[in-house]
Amino acid sequence: MIATADTAPLIEHLFRHQAGRITARLVRLLGPANFALAEEAVQEALVRALQAWPYEGTPDNPGGWLFRVAHNIAIDAVRRDRTFAAKADAVVAELTRSASQFSDPDAGELKDDELRMIFMCCHPALARDASVALSLKTVGGFSVREIARAFLADERAIAQRLVRAKRQIRDEELTLEMPHRSDVGERLDAVLDVIYFMFNEGYWTQSGEALIRQDLCFEALRLGRLVASSPLATPRTHALVALMALQAARLPARVDELGELVLLDNQDRARWDDRLIALGFDHFDRSMAGDDVSEYHVQAAIAATHTRATDAASADWPTILSLYDQLLLKNPSPVVALNRTVAIAKVHGPAAALTALAPLERDRHLRDYHLLLAVRGQLLLELGRPTQAGDAFRAALECECSEPERRFLERKLESCSERSITNHQSSNPQSSAP
Amino acid sequence: MPQFLLLLYDTPAAVAQFKKMSPEEMQQAIEKYRAWTKKPFTVDSKRLGEDPGKVMRSHNGKPRATDGPYSETKEVLGGFYLIEAASYDDAVALTTDHPHLEHGGTIEIRKLYGQ
Repeated sequence: MIATADTAPLIEHLFRHQAGRITARLVRLLGPANFALAEEAVQEALVRALQAWPYEGTPDNPGGWLFRVAHNIAIDAVRRDRTFAAKADAVVAELTRSASQFSDPDAGELKDDELRMIFMCCHPALARDASVALSLKTVGGFSVREIARAFLADERAIAQRLVRAKRQIRDEELTLEMPHRSDVGERLDAVLDVIYFMFNEGYWTQSGEALIRQDLCFEALRLGRLVASSPLATPRTHALVALMALQAARLPARVDELGELVLLDNQDRARWDDRLIALGFDHFDRSMAGDDVSEYHVQAAIAATHTRATDAASADWPTILSLYDQLLLKNPSPVVALNRTVAIAKVHGPAAALTALAPLERDRHLRDYHLLLAVRGQLLLELGRPTQAGDAFRAALECECSEPERRFLERKLESCSERSITNHQSSNPQSSAP
Repeated sequence: MPQFLLLLYDTPAAVAQFKKMSPEEMQQAIEKYRAWTKKPFTVDSKRLGEDPGKVMRSHNGKPRATDGPYSETKEVLGGFYLIEAASYDDAVALTTDHPHLEHGGTIEIRKLYGQ
């Protein structure tokens, strides 16, 4: 089965995705109570590949190889494990049947396994933190260390979170059964919420390592698409996929060659990912079916409005502002309100935006938020008050922020002191959203 | 050009490390090994089977086979690469960036006789 002339590299993230799929299949066959056994079998299969392929080259069908080997390891484990007792023969028969079936990783049944797994990992009975970690670990094929790095969390804390979640699955006897018609809405919303949270963590949080956070975004997008391609998909599901795809399309333009942060206004739009944009608009169209207007719909509409503009200046800011008004009604969060002030500045000018910002500055959660202070600094700069702008950027620098953000704020601060000397007029206004 | 055999041993530490790697890390490690097998001086590479193998000895004048020296606590010969190099120094220099070393494995270099 080993190919002699393999030259092409393995498909990107093949191991990660395959690990998720095989785990999903084995958990279904072994039962959620045997989560650990399934995970160990998959890990062992990957280790065997790591030991064999460096010498012999990769097999013709690497995914199929891993699938079969993991099944064989699970079969051996079930035969050895006394807890299966009388059930052992039936489970082995199921595993044997499953092992012979693998053909295509995109095959319907495998997707179905993954989908069931996502719904179990995102069960409303589990805390969201636990659902995110569990989804990344089991469906996403992330390791505990990678999850910890993505969330800048302690490895042991993540490991404990996973152990607790698995115990809860066992104790509350959560199954891989798809939700019943009566509670499908609630279950689906919980899944979408976890995926959205996962995406935002990757997209907006500046802590953690850039590369692994980008992986988080793409994993969330992959899971979203998986749900969107299932019969359970709703317009809301498509809206979520649309917003993730349209925002992820900007990822290549968010940092320049020197690794510096580039805000939306200054991004080289030629570097936006056309395939993701097309994907985003496709799902955006599908999100329009029905009457539901969810937060995802409004967020997707904002992203779509940005994407339609050929450059930042020509964006339809009045539309964006009215979308932020809608969003604020659905989700009255201070962060949404802060982003709304940026749209106000574009439509009604920096003075109006500064007025809108004032109540937010009294918010306990936002007072020491570096982005609020950065927006304030920018607005003051546009109003020709560089000394006060400098104060705001200095205060922003005292807050917790990432290394690229710190350098960005320092450059802003420098431009303030230059302007307070020459007292030049302001440059183009800038959005706070990278 | 003289040929050298690189004998790759999996140490218990290396195996333990493999078991802790994430799927993504394992895939990246495999790609590194694969890149090495495609280097111009690499002639061949083979993995040994996972079984302990057999050892044959003459016992009281009769050949006898016993199970191999496999042990969890020892370095296990995992496989070999055959490479071309001008000298031992050259072979050592070429092997310095071998991914096996990154994972705590050891490599024994032996020159083929008469070359």
